[in-house]
Amino acid sequence: MNSQGVGSSPHRAGGYDRVTGLQEYVADIRLSDALEAKLVAIDCAHARIVSIDTIEAASVPGVRLVLTAADLPQPVPRFGPQASDRPVLAVDETKYHGEPVALVAAETLEAAEEAARLVRVEYEELPAIFTLADALAPSAPLVQDTSLRPNDPLAATNVFREHRVAWGDVDAVDADLVVDRSYTFPMVTHFPIEVPAFIAAPDGDGVAIWSSIQHPNWLQKILAKLLGLPLAKVRVHAPDPGGGFGGKQHAKYEPVVAFAALKTGRPVRLVLSLEETFQAMRRAACETRVRSGFKRDGTLVFQDIQANYLIGAYVDIADRVVGKGSYVGAGPYNIPAVRIVARSVLSHTMPSTAFRGFGNPQVNWAVESNLDEGALELGIDRLEIRLRNLARRGDAFIPFDTPADGDWQQTVRRAAQLIDWGKPLAPGRGRGIALGVKSGPTTGLSYSIVRLLVDGSVVVYAGTSDMGQGARTVFAQIAAEELGAPIEWVTVIMGDTLVVPYDQQTSASRSTVLMGNSILKACRSIQAQLRSMAARVHGRPESEISIDHGVIRLADRELPIVDVLKDGLGSLGGELIGTGEERKVAEAAHPLGGAPAFFEFNCTAIEAEVDGDTGDVTILRHVTVSDVGKAINPLQVKMQDEGAALQGLGHTLMEHYIFDEGGRVRNLGAIDYRIPTSMDLPHEFVSEIIENGDGPGPYGAKGMSEGALLCVAPAVAAAVRDATGAVIRDLPLTPERGWRALHG
Amino acid sequence: MTDKIPIQMTVNGRVRAFTVAPQKTLLDVLRDELGLFGTKECCRVGECGACTVIVDGRTVDSCLMLAAEADGAEVTTVEGLADNGRLSALQEAFLDRGAAQCGFCVPGQLMSAQALLAHTPHPTRAQIEEGMAGNLCRCGGYERIIEAILDVADGTEP
Amino acid sequence: MNDFSGFAYARPSTVSEAASLLAEYGSEARLLSGGTDLIIKLHNKTLRPRIVVDLKRIPELRRGISEIDGHLSISAATVMTDIARDERIARYFPALIDAVSVVGSVQIRNRATLAGNICNASPAADSAPPLLVHGAEVLAASVNGTRRIPIAEFFVRSGVTTLRAGEFVTAIELPLPKRPIGAAHMRRSRRRGHDLASVTLCCGVDESGLTRLAYGSVGPKPVLALDESGVLADPGAPDEAKAEIFESMFAGASPSPRSMRASPEYRLAMLRVLGVRALRKAIERLEKGRAQ
Repeated sequence: MNSQGVGSSPHRAGGYDRVTGLQEYVADIRLSDALEAKLVAIDCAHARIVSIDTIEAASVPGVRLVLTAADLPQPVPRFGPQASDRPVLAVDETKYHGEPVALVAAETLEAAEEAARLVRVEYEELPAIFTLADALAPSAPLVQDTSLRPNDPLAATNVFREHRVAWGDVDAVDADLVVDRSYTFPMVTHFPIEVPAFIAAPDGDGVAIWSSIQHPNWLQKILAKLLGLPLAKVRVHAPDPGGGFGGKQHAKYEPVVAFAALKTGRPVRLVLSLEETFQAMRRAACETRVRSGFKRDGTLVFQDIQANYLIGAYVDIADRVVGKGSYVGAGPYNIPAVRIVARSVLSHTMPSTAFRGFGNPQVNWAVESNLDEGALELGIDRLEIRLRNLARRGDAFIPFDTPADGDWQQTVRRAAQLIDWGKPLAPGRGRGIALGVKSGPTTGLSYSIVRLLVDGSVVVYAGTSDMGQGARTVFAQIAAEELGAPIEWVTVIMGDTLVVPYDQQTSASRSTVLMGNSILKACRSIQAQLRSMAARVHGRPESEISIDHGVIRLADRELPIVDVLKDGLGSLGGELIGTGEERKVAEAAHPLGGAPAFFEFNCTAIEAEVDGDTGDVTILRHVTVSDVGKAINPLQVKMQDEGAALQGLGHTLMEHYIFDEGGRVRNLGAIDYRIPTSMDLPHEFVSEIIENGDGPGPYGAKGMSEGALLCVAPAVAAAVRDATGAVIRDLPLTPERGWRALHG
Repeated sequence: MTDKIPIQMTVNGRVRAFTVAPQKTLLDVLRDELGLFGTKECCRVGECGACTVIVDGRTVDSCLMLAAEADGAEVTTVEGLADNGRLSALQEAFLDRGAAQCGFCVPGQLMSAQALLAHTPHPTRAQIEEGMAGNLCRCGGYERIIEAILDVADGTEP
Repeated sequence: MNDFSGFAYARPSTVSEAASLLAEYGSEARLLSGGTDLIIKLHNKTLRPRIVVDLKRIPELRRGISEIDGHLSISAATVMTDIARDERIARYFPALIDAVSVVGSVQIRNRATLAGNICNASPAADSAPPLLVHGAEVLAASVNGTRRIPIAEFFVRSGVTTLRAGEFVTAIELPLPKRPIGAAHMRRSRRRGHDLASVTLCCGVDESGLTRLAYGSVGPKPVLALDESGVLADPGAPDEAKAEIFESMFAGASPSPRSMRASPEYRLAMLRVLGVRALRKAIERLEKGRAQ
């Protein structure tokens, strides 16, 4: 009924503000009387702090505070989503290049910067561990304090945790061919164009925080604990972030800024530089060894995977990334015997955290590449070998777990069709195809409130973070659809823990499903109230009354909701309020804490051309097909898939941190860390979706936005091999590396 | 010696006069002095284009220009694109084509697109890709942005 | 009030005013033209001058591109965008267009000046190879008068030129070719989007069979080499013969092993690839020029 409802693509909610410069990001918020802060770090990866002299810094005019660990409650509070290992400021030791040792707050940014330069840190450089080989060496120095993991046998190593997934007996299976190779995935950084920004201010007997955070409720919990305040006295404002991709999920410098605000009694504002941003968030690098066993006809008989992820000095959410990412590491295939051992390995580097794909891209790179190597040795078409092994709808490709929840064959065939798989290619060109699956959320809790006002306009409260994926629009569309309101009449309120009810987090492509369902429930509650209102007003039994989106159906006529609302609310006016709770209960026995609510499935196919003399790879055609259930907003789905694909091209072709011998990052900032520009686009970009209405979300939606990133690297490398014969097992595939692969 | 310098510039059609410390960039002044927060700060080395504005008809990275250098200049920022609340064709096209994801790069993208079309009203796709390469979008919205620009160039955006 | 990043800002309106300021402040003064290099250093405090001298209001330096006495003179405040759009540069020095068109993004090219590019003296400066191939001259002024510096004597190493204390560039002059010449500039970078070059190379072939090859980013300063044998200029000469000549011309390359952008082996290999490609394009342009 509503042309701007579900399935259509109305303008992005918040789009007007974004094209006019009105959209307010954290750095645009100016509180009067705020102090400007600057972090102090030393140019060292791992160092023992001998002394910090703040006298000169403190006497710079305008400086109000120079904060070090010594000024914090003792012992220095530690925090982190998985382990409370990260100190608010470095204590005795810095463990990564860029770990702050002090914070300066001053009346102006110049004064803060000048004072930050004058903080004199005496330190002793210590050996830094920043490669897997170094971290896993038997006599490696330990990155983490052993006291943080009492009773953990791994505490005497740099392995934080080992995750094992296994079924069948990999060692007992007979294979006609075994392909055993190792692959590496680089350390890359999120590089959101909005650098993280934080403001903290005393707020009566509590504190108010503004942060570019993706998980406001999680941040609220951490701060409440650190500051010893009740949750209701910690107000987190979370304006729409300017890109997150996972990097802004968890607390970073909000704690230290909060302590500074409480100490000075004034608001304190910290905006990171881009260089500091690179030192604050990244993806885990990974070395994966894949041993695949095949029958002669290409059937996979076993998959034996060892993945070592290099995480940072503090765990952040990195171990969860390793566990969850590796869990579906063997891919969406029916394989009788699988063994996956994935380890999160600590190092003296900046914390690795969530990043679009959440540990899957690293292993998928290896597994899909290895599958190709098997196909080539067996002389089997690379598309055929995948279709042969691919799980069908309902297959428990991970035993006893969520079965395959889509017609994945359809997705793959469509991608193959779009890349013209099998058709002849000009010389120097090649094709690759890869597929991948990622688990959706395994637990979940999202509350929402919906208010239907007397004139039929709607307010939705939802704690999701809209960082570009368009959550606001999707929620508005759902409410518009269910309550018959034009979409311009729906306002979505997010990002304020004092106003908006609890949402667990924005991650795992969960929000359309979990928060969407929550909003659907809230709308249905309002619909129920409307039915009973109509029954009362019109003297009919409720059983005779139905609601279909904007219309109330009585036995003899139809009425718009607004009419019933007005009559029903009467002369006092008012509104109807509905609440929704969508809960996915934790399952203690499940290795991930719960079975995946859905899977994101993607197939990516690439046609590429390689310049044999220079190693340049040109993507002629990039096809991405995602299985999404239902596209609530098709344009936004396309935006997400294109964006994910481009990020995939980034780590495939150009992105990586470069370290010096001491573990310092050499390429901080935008000049020497390259991400794709508009000139790095594929010549032809084709993105399509499969909609079978088979997801658990509203109208059959599944989550999406990470799938299109998963398979880019293996598909590109496969196309390069197809074109040149060069085998690539290490990313990024820069021109130089391509050249080396071709010229030995 | 490091006294503030008196400066006058026309910003979005309005003459603005103020004094500024020499080290302040045009970006600093737009945001901190004039309260125009639409222009964004990101890399501070002239690589990302988030700070792009138009000065005397040409796009510049405002983070790499001292405010003093803009004395006497005509500056247009994203806030100057709409006409009395009516969005420009480019702004409309960006909305129609879904060119704004997180939106942080969008002001800079719009300024570059505006200048590109002013100089090359019917650009080829290659010209658009080249002309827009100084504006990074990490959300990966380039295809949408290019389509929006083509819409305006082709006149299909009313 | 205390001003920590404090520098004074001066905007002289004549060359002699600028020269006097430089003489007065010496090494505590920094010249500002496009600012695309300087502002970054001011911001990250690698430079902390007492005064910044903005050259852009000096009419003589804003003259743009003019034909004087058999030269094309490019005044110091001329930005890359204007050079890239100039018809005369396109006609006589298309290799320079190749080069300036890839200096950064549109935004950078709207500000960056040719003079600033050579004074910054990055070994990877894109403008250097075409200027070397075409035998440009740098005009410099100071309180002691003016001086002409052949471009081949201008670069010393990264950040260092042969400009003396108190001297600044007022113009760069390109002698109009007396006989037909075809030249092309190419470079290697890490992505298609704008990037610093990891190898730059310009090849110019003239009607007499003389080939000039200038290349950069493989040593402290760009190198100019000549082939007077005529072999490179001869489209019919065998590839092996050309390869031998290229080898001797690239003997001046000594890429740094410390670079993040590309390894020495790759740079040296790409020199050879670019050499062949730029030569081919230079010969094409020469033939096209002759045909007109």
